[in-house]
Amino acid sequence: MKNRLRDLRAELGWSQAELADRLEVSRQSVNAIETGKYDPSLPLAFKLARLFATTIEDLFTDEP
Amino acid sequence: MNCLQSNPAIRRYLRQFAVAMSACLVLTVFVVSYFHRVHPKGLLAYLLAVLPAVAIIGIIVTVGLYLAEEKDEFRRNIFVQAMLWGLGGVLAVTSVWGMLESFTHIVHFQPTWTFTLFWCFVGISTPFLQRRHR
Repeated sequence: MKNRLRDLRAELGWSQAELADRLEVSRQSVNAIETGKYDPSLPLAFKLARLFATTIEDLFTDEP
Repeated sequence: MNCLQSNPAIRRYLRQFAVAMSACLVLTVFVVSYFHRVHPKGLLAYLLAVLPAVAIIGIIVTVGLYLAEEKDEFRRNIFVQAMLWGLGGVLAVTSVWGMLESFTHIVHFQPTWTFTLFWCFVGISTPFLQRRHR
């Protein structure tokens, strides 16, 4: 699944490690989500959306 | 290995795993030497024989506790995938070995090695699974 995580993170000037701390997950998790290798669960997707003050639909897209 | 320092669930798991594994080793050595020297019989023999297996069950409980305590769903996912590789590897090896035992004169596979074999496959698959997501 594609997402805008990297762009939104860059806009805020956060590193992967910083975002991982805020989400209380590992940096590896953030990297896996950003690169589309891992799709987060709904609770984590909501957490991400809240953190970036946006919606899940805005963050993730299921288009190829 | 920074994940080991940053995650209390992993630290707790490794500590409990080390204790259970040590108990397994100590109990195995004790039971083997006791059977070798004393040759116990009856109920005592049965009770002594299952002692190392109790420690192995402790390791399984430790794994279950880790999966319940791990808050990082991605890490949990990797761990579960590694265990699935472990189960698949054990099933594959024991199935092939079983067929070989049925139709050839290959040496008997001791079921007590199944647990060790499982962790070998888990250990081999984990770095590959982690590298895929790095």
